[in-house]
Amino acid sequence: MAGGGGSLGGGEKPKRGKHNSRKKKKRVGFHLDMTPLVDITFLLLTFFMFTTTMATPQIMKMAVPPERDIEVIVQESKLFTIFVDDNERIFWFPKNDELIPTDVKEIKKLAIENNLRNDVRNELITALKVSPQASYGLIVKILDELNIAEGEITKELIKDGLVRERKFSLTKLSEVDYKKIEEQAPPVEEKEN
Amino acid sequence: MPKVKKKRVGFVIDMTPLVDITFLLLTFFMFTAKFKTQAENEQKFFIERPKASADTSKLPEVNLATIKIAFTDSTRQDTSYYFEMLNQDNFQKIKANTPDLTQEQIQSAQIKADLFTLEKLVREVYRLDYATGSLDTKFAIDADQDLPFDWVNNAMDVLRGNNYTTFNYVTDKKQ
Repeated sequence: MAGGGGSLGGGEKPKRGKHNSRKKKKRVGFHLDMTPLVDITFLLLTFFMFTTTMATPQIMKMAVPPERDIEVIVQESKLFTIFVDDNERIFWFPKNDELIPTDVKEIKKLAIENNLRNDVRNELITALKVSPQASYGLIVKILDELNIAEGEITKELIKDGLVRERKFSLTKLSEVDYKKIEEQAPPVEEKEN
Repeated sequence: MPKVKKKRVGFVIDMTPLVDITFLLLTFFMFTAKFKTQAENEQKFFIERPKASADTSKLPEVNLATIKIAFTDSTRQDTSYYFEMLNQDNFQKIKANTPDLTQEQIQSAQIKADLFTLEKLVREVYRLDYATGSLDTKFAIDADQDLPFDWVNNAMDVLRGNNYTTFNYVTDKKQ
């Protein structure tokens, strides 16, 4: 430590003897000029703060049946059908061929009620039939409600010792469906702006 | 009585706690930072994702292929499909294998495509997956919430036609 410390160190005893240059100075702490360190650190910090995006998107899983030309026949009573028409009105069928208007907030309740009906416990197929004109956002909203309902349905079925099997389909409205809507739905009201 | 002022020759602030905190934040941001991909960098549109209730599911970080459907102009009239993949090696192969791609499409990291081209691209993805013996590629559909469902449905049909029967919708957390 020859000549070490400079202005930083302490003791300033006079030299004594040959080996004095080797004698350690007594340190009482030292100061380090941290300003450049802080400069750089802040620079990097601000850089990373501005470049990061905190809200990463999440996902919603979707499954569609594989392409096969096999007709599957199901009982209509085992279907829970939801229609979304061109004007984004939502309907469902409680009984055969009876169309009842509903809205997004009702869907969760309806899904739970219907899935837990005693005659179709764990066998109900949810069919969401959608007009190509309906907005994608609305469909996701409905799917979201159904997903929330799914949690409660599973919980209820576990109480009965059943393992939930989810059956779901998402298709476009067919000609027949359009006819049903035309026949039964009230005429479209003018939208207020 | 005049006070005798001490002559100041500069002062010292102990910066250690400041540095401690700054480093802590710095390391945090460094580890959480995720950089823009080339495709995101090229992206000239903004997708207003549909809102769904909070979920822990995140987009897969490997072998993801995304079909983006977005309005391409501010008046929200024109719509287009965009195709991008995270696995760049595979992406290059697929670009090379897909017939009739324009020079512009080959060079971009985010291919602007019509439904017909999209179909061809997805078919090549399936072929590549099939050749390697695994259906590793995960598909995601990232569409604007105001789009007519038809656009999404067509993309779904393309995926379904090429044996990708499970895929993801990209959503945002509901506030």
